[in-house]
Amino acid sequence: MKLYKKEGNIVQILSFPNETVEKGDYLLIDDADAGKALIVQVIDVQFASIPGILEELLRSLPDGGDSMQGEDFDPLEIAPHITYIQDASLLVCKIRATVENDSLTPSSSWLPSRSQSTIRKLPIPTLLKLGKIDGKLPIVLGGTKDSSLLTIDALSLDGRLNIITGKKETGKSHLSKLLILNMIGYKATVVVFDLNGEYLSLGMTADGKRNAHHDKIHVLTPSQNFKVALKQLNLHVLLEILIHALHLPGTSAREFRRIWQSLKERDMLNLHELGEAIRNWHCNQHVRDALFSRYYALVNSGFFTDNVAEAIILEERLSKAKEQGGAIIINLQNTSPIDRQIVVEYLLGKLVELLTDWKLKAIFLFAEEAHLYLRETYWDDIVTRMRHFGIFTTFITNQPDTIRENIYRQADNIFLFNFTNEHDLEVVSRAARVDAETVKSIARDLPPHHCLVLGKVVKDFPMVVKVKALDVKTMGETRLFFKDTN
Amino acid sequence: MIEQYTIATTPKYNFPQPATDTTLPQRLIELSIHSLRHAKNQPIQLNQQTLQQFNNLEAQTQSLQINPQPITLKPKREETIVAAVDTSSIKIGETSTGMLIAVRGANVWKQKRNYRYVRLGPFVFHITEENKREVYNALQRAYLDSPHEQNHQNSPNLQQMPTRMANLLERWLQSTLSKTISNGLILFDGSLTSGTADTPTRLMKEILDTARKRGNVVLAFSKMTNLRFNGHLITDVLLGHEPPYLLATAGLKTKPPIVLLGDVYVARLTNGNYAFRLDIDKEVSTEQKIGAAEKLLGNDLLTQSYPETLRLAHILCTFTANEVIAMQHFIAHTYGLKIINRPDMHRLLFGPFGKGESS
Repeated sequence: MKLYKKEGNIVQILSFPNETVEKGDYLLIDDADAGKALIVQVIDVQFASIPGILEELLRSLPDGGDSMQGEDFDPLEIAPHITYIQDASLLVCKIRATVENDSLTPSSSWLPSRSQSTIRKLPIPTLLKLGKIDGKLPIVLGGTKDSSLLTIDALSLDGRLNIITGKKETGKSHLSKLLILNMIGYKATVVVFDLNGEYLSLGMTADGKRNAHHDKIHVLTPSQNFKVALKQLNLHVLLEILIHALHLPGTSAREFRRIWQSLKERDMLNLHELGEAIRNWHCNQHVRDALFSRYYALVNSGFFTDNVAEAIILEERLSKAKEQGGAIIINLQNTSPIDRQIVVEYLLGKLVELLTDWKLKAIFLFAEEAHLYLRETYWDDIVTRMRHFGIFTTFITNQPDTIRENIYRQADNIFLFNFTNEHDLEVVSRAARVDAETVKSIARDLPPHHCLVLGKVVKDFPMVVKVKALDVKTMGETRLFFKDTN
Repeated sequence: MIEQYTIATTPKYNFPQPATDTTLPQRLIELSIHSLRHAKNQPIQLNQQTLQQFNNLEAQTQSLQINPQPITLKPKREETIVAAVDTSSIKIGETSTGMLIAVRGANVWKQKRNYRYVRLGPFVFHITEENKREVYNALQRAYLDSPHEQNHQNSPNLQQMPTRMANLLERWLQSTLSKTISNGLILFDGSLTSGTADTPTRLMKEILDTARKRGNVVLAFSKMTNLRFNGHLITDVLLGHEPPYLLATAGLKTKPPIVLLGDVYVARLTNGNYAFRLDIDKEVSTEQKIGAAEKLLGNDLLTQSYPETLRLAHILCTFTANEVIAMQHFIAHTYGLKIINRPDMHRLLFGPFGKGESS
C-alpha cells in the first residue's frame, strides 16, 4: 500500500490486488522518521484511476459486445502485471487518531511521509488495546472481521443516550436484548417499552427453558398485572395523562384539579367517587362533558383500579430490580394507541417521582419505536431533564426520521445496522459523534446482524461487529400466511 | 528456459500451421531477455515522451494521375476469410545507456461472422548504442536469412529502433498469414512499397508470391498518404459517385531501390467523406483485384471506408497507458530496474510557462 493523497482528514491510499482491505478496516500509516503514526479507517474502496483503462476495457469487447476469441502469446508474462495494475484500488480513509509514544490523540494536523511511510492493517485487538476499549464491566458485543471479540464497557452506557437503528430484520432487537441481559447481569435496573412483545421471553432459552436471568425479568401487561390505583397517583401525573394523552382542554383541567383536591381532602380518591364528583360538580355543561369523556377513557383502559393491592406490583418489581438488577418489560403489544400513551405517561411520571425521592438510583430505559407512544414534548425531556434524574434512554427504531435531529446530536452511542435508503442514512449522519461519510459508506454495505458501533463505547473508533448469538427464545416474529409452505 | 512457440490450430483454416517459421518470435524472446538482463539494476526515467510508433513508408510527396471513371463495386457475399496484420512499438523509458522499448503485433481474421486473433508480445528490449546493431542484425538474420541484404543496410539509429523492430515483426506476421491462409483476403497496414531498410523487395515479393500461390489477394490500406493529383491529396478527390467504388491511378514513379509491388487505387467503400489509398498486389489480374475489393465488402464490416479486421488488428496491438505502466512494473520487478523521475527541464526553467518536453 502506498500513501497517495491527504485532503482534510481524508487520506487516499493506493492498494494492490494482493492486499485485501475492506471497508471498515483500520490501517496504520507509520512514519518511523517522525516517530508518529496515523490510525485511519477505510470508508470506501474504489478503483484506482489508471490511465488507459477505458481503452483497455473497450478493446476487450469489440465483437458485438462479446469478448473476442483469440490467443495471446505473451512470453515475458506481462499480462499478470497488466491485471495487477488494472485491479489496483484506491482506499478512501478517514483519519481517526495519531499514535505518538503509545498514546492516542485525535490530531490529524501532521502529514506522514509519502515515500517513507509504511502502511499496514491494524488488527482490531491492537486498536482496542491502544484505545483502551475494554473496561471494568465488559459486555461482549460480538466478533469483528478479524475474528477478535469486541468488548465494550457497561460504564460507557451509564448516563448515556443511545440509539439502535437499522432497517427491518437486521438485528436491532437482538442487540438491545444483548445489552439488557448484560446490564441486568451487572445489577442494573432496566425498563423496556415493548411494543411488539419481543422481550417477553427474555428469561427463557431458545428451547423454552428458564435461563439464568429468568428471575430478573418482570413482564408487566397494562390492565392485566399492571394497574394503578388513583390513590397512588400524583395529581400532576394524572393531569399530564389527561392533557397530553387525552387532550383535555385547559379550562376543564382546572375543574378537574378542583374535583381531585376535593376528593383527596375527603380521602375518597377512587374511580366510582371520581365519576360521581364529575356528575355532581357545579360547572359548565361542556366542561362536564369533556371531563366525563376523559373519565370513561380512563375507566375503559382497564389500567386504573380501586384495589390498591392490585396496584403495587410496579413498585415491588422496581424495588426488587434495585436490589439484584432486573428488567421490567412493559408489554404494550395489545394496547391501543391512547392506552399506550396513558401507560407511558404514567410510567415516566412514576419513574421521575421514584428517582427524585432516591427510591431508585438510576434506570436504563429501552424504548422501541418511541414515536408511537412518546408525546412530542417528552423527547427533549428524556434527553435533558430526565437524564439528570437518572433515566438513561436507548431508542430502538427502524425509522430513523421519527427521532428528532437534536436527539441524534446528543446521542452518545449509535448502534447502526444496515440501511440502504439514502434519506435514512442522511438522518443518522446528523449525529454529532460521527462523520456523514462513515455512516453513509459503511452502513450501506453492512450484512444482517452486523452493526456499526459509533460513539463513546468504542472511544470514537467506529467498528463493525457481528452481534453474537443469544440463547433467548425468539418472540415478535412476523406472523406469516405462507409459513407452512416455507 | 525459453518457451516453445506453438499456436493451436483452428479447425478449418489451420491458422497458423505448425510448419510455420517460428524463428522470429524465438529470437525476439531470446534477445528481449538477453537485452533486459544487461540492463539489470539500472535506473530508468519515465517522464519521457512515450510515443507510439507505427510504420509509414511514404515519406515524399509524389504526383500521379487518377482515372475519373470509377470502378463501381458490388459486395460479393461468397464466404471468404479476411485477415489483417498490424504491429506497434513504444518507448517505455530511458536508461543511462539506452532505452527500453516494447513491440507487439496482432493477426486478426474474420471467419463465419466471428473475429479471432493471435497477438504476439509485448516483447520488451533494452536497446543501447552498443547492442542495437547486434539485436537488429540478429533479428534480420533470423528472419531475412540474407547476409547480403544485411550488410548493405545502414544500422538504424537508436530513435528508429522501435519502428524498425516493429517492422521486422510485421513482416514476419505478414509472411505467416501468407503461408497459412487459402483463398482469402490479406489486409496490410500501409502500402505495398518495398526496398526500404526493413522492407526488402525480395522479402515482400516472397510474401506476395506465397499469398498468391495459395489463392489469396493482398490489399494494403494506407491511413495517410502523400500522393497527390493536381495538387490535391488523392484521398481528397471525391467525385460525385455513389460509393462503394475504386478509382484507378497511373503514373506513380519510384526511385530505386524503392519498388512498388501493388497497383494504387483510391478506395471509397462507404458513404461519408472517407477514402483511403489502397494498394492491391500488382501480379493479380484486374478482375481479381476488383473481385477482392468486392469480397471485402461482402465479408467484412466497413465503417468509414476502413475494414473492421484491420481496425481490430490496430486496436489489439496498440499499447495503452495501463500497459506501459504494467511493463515498467514488470521491468522494475523482474530485472530490478529502478524507476526515477528525471526533472523536466522545460518545467524546471520556465515554471508554468514550460509546457513539458512532449510539447
